[in-house]
Amino acid sequence: MSSIQRIRGGIGADEDYWLAIERGELRISRCAHCRKWMWPANVRCGDCGSWEIDWERIEPVGTVYTWTRNHAVSEVLAERQADLPYVTLLVELPQAGGARVAGVLEGNEEHLRIGARVRGRFAGPEERSKGYATIVWHIEEDA
Amino acid sequence: MRSLRGQTAIVGIAQTPYYKRGTSPDSEMKLALRAIVAACEDAGIDPRDVDGFVSYGSENNTAQKLLPGLGTRELRFGALAWTHGGGIPAAVGVAAAAIQAGQADVVAVYRALAEGSNQRLRVAVTQNDTPAQFLVNGIDMVLQRSAMRTRRMIEVDGVPPETLEALAKVSYHHAQNNPGAVAHGRMLTSEAYHASRMISEPYHLYDCSRENDGAAAIILVSAERARDLKQTPAYVLSVPMGASHDGGSREDNHEPYSSVGMIGLARRMWAESGYGPKDVDVAQIYENFTGMAVQSIIDHGFCTAAEAGDFIRFDNLIAPSGALPINTSGGNLADGFIHGMGMMVEVVRQIRGTSTNQVPGAKLSMMAGGPGDSMTSTGLFGSAETL
Repeated sequence: MSSIQRIRGGIGADEDYWLAIERGELRISRCAHCRKWMWPANVRCGDCGSWEIDWERIEPVGTVYTWTRNHAVSEVLAERQADLPYVTLLVELPQAGGARVAGVLEGNEEHLRIGARVRGRFAGPEERSKGYATIVWHIEEDA
Repeated sequence: MRSLRGQTAIVGIAQTPYYKRGTSPDSEMKLALRAIVAACEDAGIDPRDVDGFVSYGSENNTAQKLLPGLGTRELRFGALAWTHGGGIPAAVGVAAAAIQAGQADVVAVYRALAEGSNQRLRVAVTQNDTPAQFLVNGIDMVLQRSAMRTRRMIEVDGVPPETLEALAKVSYHHAQNNPGAVAHGRMLTSEAYHASRMISEPYHLYDCSRENDGAAAIILVSAERARDLKQTPAYVLSVPMGASHDGGSREDNHEPYSSVGMIGLARRMWAESGYGPKDVDVAQIYENFTGMAVQSIIDHGFCTAAEAGDFIRFDNLIAPSGALPINTSGGNLADGFIHGMGMMVEVVRQIRGTSTNQVPGAKLSMMAGGPGDSMTSTGLFGSAETL
């Protein structure tokens, strides 16, 4: 595990998501008991009450649920200043019950639209991703 | 049924001038004191008699810090409502509940911001409350996530993008009659709106709220006590806070996705107050970004997504003639932004009849809290006739 400072602010149960991405895997949490997909990850299934959580591997493929093209960033995202303008996405993952993960789009934007099919590339830790390994998305050619 | 309806009233209001962020001559603490003392003077109440303090978000000027400067006789109640702009009507609700439960008699609800004493609001908010998957992917707490939600509202729900422009122009229109508004003297034309730079598509610069230095405060007492004070009371009718089963902190996996979290709150507010969207005379609709306020109007049931193009038009939203005048002091976009607290002051002005964009005979005055907060709140306030 890298020694980077982990970001607070979420539920705080997504460490295995980041560790998987460092290994080149996309894993989403799922209740071991009732099989409900959980994203963001949690420590307990609010549906059935189980404390047992599985991390299931899925393919890094999905569709653009929504997107924006960013032309400005605040001080909090200063590392992205040089990338402006850039496109960020919410990607819907059909293999994880429609869970939506955040990501950055790379490559050709010609077919960028809600519903476009995207595939993820595993990217190593960078300053712009605050030291985290991430999945960067591109639109599939036949979209 | 137990209820807060009509049990308490806002009897004092005040705000400091809005300063350009980072330029307040006073510290944040002094701004908070100035607003609270002025609200007490407005109410005819000795500031030493304020025994309860409620704020929201990342307010740093706590009750215990304010006590020595106010000369508080006895501090009996203090609380902070969770989340950001979503916490404003909720803070009033906390204050009202404390009064009704006998835990305090005179409660100040307030918010103070001064960049020189603190850090930029958007930095404070983003750094402390943004999940990793957003920050590592170039997305901050509010701007980009709101922009993405608004895109879906437009492209999937079919809400016309012209509604965003209408929201912005309404705020600037109202600011022209408000000498204290930051945008007073600066009208927003369609040409200027469309020519302004893109920030996060579909948001132009004019779709985004400001940040100012300043403070605003209101004073709440029991309805019984309010009747003996000098100002026309603005009674608290309903101030629900919360989130639905599919809401809360779900990192944009909430459902329905387009919603800004107000659907269930509005249902509770109409039920508790006994009123509905058609009864509201005037509303302050918190706009961090225009598109989020558009969805807030839809969530509250003023119109559906399909009707939004007809309802959310400039002519329909301006005082005094529109069917639903909104953001009548200029709102967060054009009046100024002290984390939305100025809107609560304007809610009361409308009931008193003292707004610079007065809706004639306004009795029912609403404020929607910050749209899209993972927990938010909304509120309906009324004159004595509405009880």
